[in-house]
Amino acid sequence: MARDPRAMSGLLELDALTRRYGAVTALDALSFSVPAGQVVGFLGPNGAGKTTTMRAIFGLTDLDAGTVRWNGAPVRQAERRRFGYMPEERGLYPGMLVGEQLRYLGRLHGLSGPDAEAATSTWLERLGVADRSDSKVDSLSHGNQQRVQLAAALVHEPELLVLDEPLSGLDPTGIDDIGAVLVERARAGCCVLFSSHQLDLVEELCEAVTIIDHGRLVVTGSVDDLATSGPRRLVMRVEGDRDASWARRIEGVTVSEIDGGAVRLVLDESVDTQAVLRAAMGAGRVSEFTFERRRLSEVFREALG
Amino acid sequence: MTLSVILAIGAVVLALRLWFRRRGRLTRGPSQARVTLEPLTGDVGLVAAREVRERFRGRIFRVGTLILLAAVAAAIVIPVLSRGHRHPQPVGVVGSLSAPLRAAVVATGKSIGSTVRLVDEANVAVADDDLRAGRVALLIVDGSRLVVNRAIEPTDTSTTARLVTAVSDALGVQRAFEAAGLTVAQAVGLAHAKPVPVTSLQPAPAKGAARTTSVIGLILVFVMLTQYDTWILVGVMEEKSSRVIEVLLAAVRPVRLLAGKVLGIGLVAFAQAGLIVAFALVLAKAVGSDLLQGTAPLALVSLLVWLVLGYGFYCWVYAAAGSMAERQEQVQSLAFPLSLPILLGYVVSLTVASSGSPSTFFDVLCYLPPTAPFAMPVLVGLGRATWWEFAASAALSVVCTVVVAKLAAGIYRRAILRTGRRVGLREVVSRVVG
Repeated sequence: MARDPRAMSGLLELDALTRRYGAVTALDALSFSVPAGQVVGFLGPNGAGKTTTMRAIFGLTDLDAGTVRWNGAPVRQAERRRFGYMPEERGLYPGMLVGEQLRYLGRLHGLSGPDAEAATSTWLERLGVADRSDSKVDSLSHGNQQRVQLAAALVHEPELLVLDEPLSGLDPTGIDDIGAVLVERARAGCCVLFSSHQLDLVEELCEAVTIIDHGRLVVTGSVDDLATSGPRRLVMRVEGDRDASWARRIEGVTVSEIDGGAVRLVLDESVDTQAVLRAAMGAGRVSEFTFERRRLSEVFREALG
Repeated sequence: MTLSVILAIGAVVLALRLWFRRRGRLTRGPSQARVTLEPLTGDVGLVAAREVRERFRGRIFRVGTLILLAAVAAAIVIPVLSRGHRHPQPVGVVGSLSAPLRAAVVATGKSIGSTVRLVDEANVAVADDDLRAGRVALLIVDGSRLVVNRAIEPTDTSTTARLVTAVSDALGVQRAFEAAGLTVAQAVGLAHAKPVPVTSLQPAPAKGAARTTSVIGLILVFVMLTQYDTWILVGVMEEKSSRVIEVLLAAVRPVRLLAGKVLGIGLVAFAQAGLIVAFALVLAKAVGSDLLQGTAPLALVSLLVWLVLGYGFYCWVYAAAGSMAERQEQVQSLAFPLSLPILLGYVVSLTVASSGSPSTFFDVLCYLPPTAPFAMPVLVGLGRATWWEFAASAALSVVCTVVVAKLAAGIYRRAILRTGRRVGLREVVSRVVG
């Protein structure tokens, strides 16, 4: 299922990144790339090495081997100043004013004073926290702190945006707002890589995903390709049927879920769908018969075994 | 005099308040980014400018500055005020006391820096009452004996005790002259005999005023160095504990971030030190204090030079320590061992500044970079340091600072991103060295 990472042309390339902490191998020759103009979801179970990978892009962890490249050249500090980073453990000066903090970070990333000023206003406005510009960060709610943290990653209009769990702990409005910003940045030509455990949201926002486990690449590819590959998904509704016992008797068919009378079946290559339909009709009146795409959560579970 | 002192302190406090209030208004305006240190370009300058802005705005800085100013004002003003309280010493006279003896008593008072006022008492009972009530300091009875309210200890060095001893001696001599049958003119001539000249093998130790200046300067260097180093320690720790460090290091190299921090806090520190020294000079002149006279200007320059060198040396050490901690209690356990050389330098120097006699051990401390910021200014204050000794110690301090800074930057780079537990010194040092 894993595609050759080199098949995707990207601005950001991670080449055989290896990081060991004593006996633990956090990154094990991890290679993948992030193309421009797309939102790429970065997935993996806890401890898979996602945060270490993201920190490695910014030189925040020393690598035992491997190279991070941007436009084909190894990344140095000058390139990193044009990247935006939202770390997993949110970090801003708690006692500093929001607007001042963003201006400061904008300047550190190379903006002029007036440009940092203008960008701060724009992003605070865009993320709905313009009225908190003169508040201290620690006086803000969790959701607003998250918005300010995103603004801190965006204020210098980065070419690469790396966000570690940007959607965790947000209410639906916050998720919509931040999600919209990520998509908008990608449309503007930015590389966007973000990690999340909320797979339905990732599926909604991302064009491509990369799944890693134990520091190794498991799957990478476009969401469309991954959804249409693999075993077929068939959703059927049979009136009066509650436990889909009729489907369990067919060889090569697995019941993956039953939701309010609708059964979701995973079909092996060899299964004849006409035979499945006949078995269903034998159990009762068939009111739904739909082929569906593989969900990202299914891709994730199947990839990790 | 007292009024002018109060006015001077009041003017400084008012000026500070107005300045902070103005800053407060500016920080709320949209043009804040243009307020400070804009000419300092580059990321080091930006980091330094932020440090300056945040320190000036912080309550700790304002209150700390006011406390230091108040302490300096007290150190300058109190000796002046107490000097003004030298009232004439009333001396009761019972019975007869000849004119030459009266003149001898008054002259004796002058010789110990006091003014004697003779009070003729009606009789012994009244005189005793006056003595008990403290209206007179001592009684001269018939020019032949003295009476004091309380017996005087041999170790007592108060003005009254010195006066009693001196008057007792003087009356004894005068009575001996009289017993020897000398005329009044002969006795006076003997009393005013010219003393033989005294020469010395070595110059006198520092004057009392210069010595006091050394002590005050030393206390200031200690308080300031401790304060500024704590700012560095806590500032670095806070960046680590708030996790803002990851966002910062994504844009700035660790050594440049650290350099900006050290520079920014250093600028604030020397602005504060400059303010305090200027305040001390102006106030001392206004109240006529002799505290900053004599060898003091040289001592003052040396004090400022060593404040800079001391800050330069210790700031890196404290920054490295701060990068290993991410909680307040970890900071305290790190700060204690670091404060030991500071305390050693301070206590030994304070002892020497008070006694005025440096030991060989103290001479060694003058050349060790961790203790030299305290010891060398004292040596200068005592007039014992030659220019080349001063320069050698300063050069050694600069060289060691460069080495320490390199090591500290390495530790900082290793430790600042390590979270979850306190980073062990052995761990980071072995990685830096290895």
